[in-house]
Amino acid sequence: MDPVTFSIIRHRLFRVVEEAVITLKHVSGSAITNEGHDLMVSLYQADGSLLMGGVGFLHHLTSAAEACKAIVRKFEGRINEGDLFLLNDPYTAALHTSDIYLVSPIHHDGKLVAWSACFVHVSDIGAMNPGGFAPDAQDIFTEGFSSPGIKLVERGELRQDVWDTILNMVRGPEMVALDLRSMIACNNVARVRMLALIDKYGMQTFDQACKALIDQSETRLRERLGELPDGRWQSRQYLEVKGEIYKVLLTMTKSGDTLTFDFTGSSPQSKYSVNCSKWASLGGLFAPLFPLLCYDIVWNEGVIKPITMIAPEGTIVNCTRPAPVSVATVGAIQSVNNAACSTIGKMLAASEKYAEEATAVWHANHFAIFMFGNNQRGRLAIGILTETFAGAGGARRFADGVDIGGEIPNPISRMANVETIEAQFPIRYLFRRRLTDSGGPGKYRGGTGGEMAIVAHDAPDGGIHYVVSGKGTRFPQSEGLCGGYPGGVNDYVWVHAPPKEMHNVDRFAQNLETIPGDPEPISWGVFPLMGDDALYVRWNGGGGIGDPLDRAADKVAADLEAGLISDQAARGTYGVIRQGDVLDRPATQAQRAAMRQARLATGAAK
Amino acid sequence: MSRRLSETLIADAGHICCATCSHRLAPANGGWKRSAALSTVAVAALPGAGTNVHPEVVLRRFCCPKCGHLLDTETALPGDPFLEDIVRA
Repeated sequence: MDPVTFSIIRHRLFRVVEEAVITLKHVSGSAITNEGHDLMVSLYQADGSLLMGGVGFLHHLTSAAEACKAIVRKFEGRINEGDLFLLNDPYTAALHTSDIYLVSPIHHDGKLVAWSACFVHVSDIGAMNPGGFAPDAQDIFTEGFSSPGIKLVERGELRQDVWDTILNMVRGPEMVALDLRSMIACNNVARVRMLALIDKYGMQTFDQACKALIDQSETRLRERLGELPDGRWQSRQYLEVKGEIYKVLLTMTKSGDTLTFDFTGSSPQSKYSVNCSKWASLGGLFAPLFPLLCYDIVWNEGVIKPITMIAPEGTIVNCTRPAPVSVATVGAIQSVNNAACSTIGKMLAASEKYAEEATAVWHANHFAIFMFGNNQRGRLAIGILTETFAGAGGARRFADGVDIGGEIPNPISRMANVETIEAQFPIRYLFRRRLTDSGGPGKYRGGTGGEMAIVAHDAPDGGIHYVVSGKGTRFPQSEGLCGGYPGGVNDYVWVHAPPKEMHNVDRFAQNLETIPGDPEPISWGVFPLMGDDALYVRWNGGGGIGDPLDRAADKVAADLEAGLISDQAARGTYGVIRQGDVLDRPATQAQRAAMRQARLATGAAK
Repeated sequence: MSRRLSETLIADAGHICCATCSHRLAPANGGWKRSAALSTVAVAALPGAGTNVHPEVVLRRFCCPKCGHLLDTETALPGDPFLEDIVRA
């Protein structure tokens, strides 16, 4: 077709998604959506296949396609102009119950021609723990309501009985209502703009452009894969919950113009809610694949065709109903993200042409703490600490990872200002900063994670409670690449304040060591933040690339000056010696030579 | 003519070699890690380890047995096999 018209339609599709995302953010009132950007909007073809992937959490792009396909099957003959459907069943398509998909058919001249789909993590879903992540859940039935597909709007009219029923099952229904309305508005904007586009160019031309766009993506990805070396790369991720260890094992095989992701060898499904379903794993592997291999290719069905996934049923990456999955997005799915990022990074590093695109694993573990309780205005507040979206960049072949630099699966993730959180919840931050020694050492260092501490403040009930579904404290998950070390781990510490009569509380402690009280590591469940107790959280850094002994000594000294690494790391990991504040180059050279020599004395691997 | 396998490894004359010193580690298309010098360190002993790191998880460091250059790393629990990365010719 005419290349100019093709390019214009392609560009307009991007803009449709972009305007829909803006609408979603503007209507939403929750920090997780408009600050953390835990959202996604995409466009789909009439059969539900992906037409134009949007931004946000990318593991939803393929899952929302499955949601559209499920609606097509379930409501065949009953999909009308102006309808809107809700779907949040993880065993049908969704990642977990609190990530609700709203999907809208787009009709032109009475014919179904496309779908708009979006999601946000709603404030609450009625699970046994507030906020959606339910570490106490034993099965899907205790993780809130889940629908394999229900019509929420019929021919443009809200079904009030359905709406009331949904809001009757959740805490803080006014916030969930706003979440849902933001998604309805988002889909309405997408539909209006899509119809304007079709009206301008005609259905036939629009249809041709969409087909060409998908063909182009498939051709370009296959060509890229053809340029990359054939081979097989592995990654292993560990998760731990209450003393039980789970493993996600990935073997990625690249052959010709195809890629196969095989999760054989991963652990059996868990009794805890870190599992994920098949569709979630598929989305999990695509989340890093889109930006790492398709950074200049439109994310649509064409990109999906060369990819195969093998995920044995009954494992942590393809669990069977009614296994609990509410922590999936920060559990098994994120481990799939990490493993795919690692193996793709290894494959890119093996290529002369694409080595510059290789990256170590970024921020590998969300800490995902949901707070709940009455706030300073006496109203129920439920929401996430958005620092979980702050992330940390993995090192690249040519540069350090970006400190607190986001994450691969969500290119637009970010955290809210401290003041935003303090305005929403009865808490006060003691500090929030980059975390020393959290970036994985390497010739190029992983970006740092961060640390923070909060205390209750102006709380009508004396404090607040929070839900922790914290993996990532026991095992580093931000793998390094080509000799780089992994990034640091997460940590959650409940500091029990000393008895009133004993303590002289430092109300402005600036690090964990000076917060008065007894520290208790925690990781899984519901905990109080009451009285003068404090919650300390640190989040993981990105993985490093290359031998730390190859890092420029000046850069190590600069990191030390900035507090990004410790003396112990400078000397013991990087082999850099300083005399006072001055870099001692001869001593550094001698130290590094000695450290290399010591490596030779360790003997061969057996 | 050598061929790139990773940032730290090349294939040359039918062998996997250290990219820094060209030391031959293993025949091409095979596993090279058993020919490397391996040192392990407990993750809990690394700078910046958290308060709750699993006591048995280690960082395996695979080094060139000739020049001491660090070729690859992986985290592992005791008994877990080496991760295997194979680049085909």
